[in-house]
Amino acid sequence: MTSRPELTGHASLFYNQKEARKYHSSSRMIGVQREITERAMELLRLDPNTPALILDVGCGSGLSGQILEENGHVWLGCDVSRDMLTVANNTAKQQSQQPPKEESMQQDDSDDEEEEEEEEGASTGDLMHHDMGTGLPFRPATFDACISISALQWLCYSNSKNQNPKKRLLRFFSSLYTVLKRGGRAVLQFYPETADQAVLISETATKVGFAGGVVVDYPNSAKAKKHYLVLSFDRSSTQQQQQQQRPLTTGMHEQQQQQHVTVGSTMEGANNKKKKAPKKKKGVKTKEWIVHKKAMQRKKGKDVRPDTKYTARRRPHKF
Amino acid sequence: MRLLTHNFLQSNVKGTEKGYPLGIERGAELSVESSPVNRNLVLKMLNKVDYSALVSITNNLREERQEDIPELPPSLPETLEEETIANYHKVLFDVQLVNGFLVCPDTGRKFPVKDGIPNMILHEDEI
Ligand SMILES: C[S@@+](CC[C@H](N)C(=O)[O-])C[C@H]1O[C@@H](n2cnc3c(N)ncnc32)[C@H](O)[C@@H]1O
Repeated sequence: MTSRPELTGHASLFYNQKEARKYHSSSRMIGVQREITERAMELLRLDPNTPALILDVGCGSGLSGQILEENGHVWLGCDVSRDMLTVANNTAKQQSQQPPKEESMQQDDSDDEEEEEEEEGASTGDLMHHDMGTGLPFRPATFDACISISALQWLCYSNSKNQNPKKRLLRFFSSLYTVLKRGGRAVLQFYPETADQAVLISETATKVGFAGGVVVDYPNSAKAKKHYLVLSFDRSSTQQQQQQQRPLTTGMHEQQQQQHVTVGSTMEGANNKKKKAPKKKKGVKTKEWIVHKKAMQRKKGKDVRPDTKYTARRRPHKF
Repeated sequence: MRLLTHNFLQSNVKGTEKGYPLGIERGAELSVESSPVNRNLVLKMLNKVDYSALVSITNNLREERQEDIPELPPSLPETLEEETIANYHKVLFDVQLVNGFLVCPDTGRKFPVKDGIPNMILHEDEI
């Protein structure tokens, strides 16, 4: 196991000038961050034809932001490491010094944009030096979406006596809840060191009111495994949405590899990793849950079948 | 930092009531670029900005840089001419705060901006 940078102290000390340059010029890193960011974008499910305003938390040297930009979005990146931001800033400057190409952004239609590797004149990103653990400093309901790539786990560590991870996570999520537009989503990819960290993170997100859960891609590969916390405001449709967010797997033994951890039951999912205990089958609901759900629907004036002894009874055959 | 970003910022230092909009201290170093107008983005962003805050910060900055910064209509017009859109683009995307200070309207706490990047870091005892 390689040692974790989070254990070495404050993020701005680890991501210093030297590390920031190294990070930004490593083609391996660029490739990995691109892949994760693209997956996060997929989970965000933005309308590809409408530019959105996206917050990138722990934006670092701008590798993740670059992908937001390529997709035509306006983004704002925050990071606690000034050295990472300086690298991001220099890249943006170089970009804007290149003479803008003949066809301006205005005439681009989104189909062509995909193939265009070359950067356009102006960058659509902006940067801010900020520690997410102190709460995001924006007006309410500002952002259409939020992404965070490989940064959130830093909040689980304390770098000084007065840094309390629980408090910092709570501040972060409650401010995220405020600054995100209703109906918006946040996708935060992170590297939990332990199962407990994943639980703490997702439980804090639910505590402040978010709906959602953790999607684990490639759960059986130590290297490729990735955790995505997918958050939204829509508690009612979460169940259904989550079914659609199928984790990526490497193909073989699909059933076994899939892992979907819902906020609140994360612990159970996390333990599965070790023990490989039989997982709860997807879509099996308890009777209480169904009765409750039906009552809610009735309240809303919907036509719902009455509760009977057959309610929630298992069917003998799957169909 | 763009004026677009400025429009979204809110100070959350202990003791703030609204924390918005942040002032820009006089004498700040600005740069005014000219990037290609992206109509779509401008319209989308105009939907999001607090318009009166945008006009008032633009008017403040115009006191020092009148020739580079276009004047904005006091209220958002119903129909937008291409030229007006270009002006909005200029104000939202091209006017950049390079060095200076942002000021919390309630507490007076200053946030330094260096090389275009605002420092919004708060100390634990300021929260
Ligand atoms: C692995 S880098 C990822 C950077 C970028 N998202 C990417 O995909 O390339 C993690 C970043 O998280 C930032 N970070 C760590 N703790 C943070 C905090 N409390 N607030 C904001 N950023 C933080 C670090 O400074 C670092 O730039």
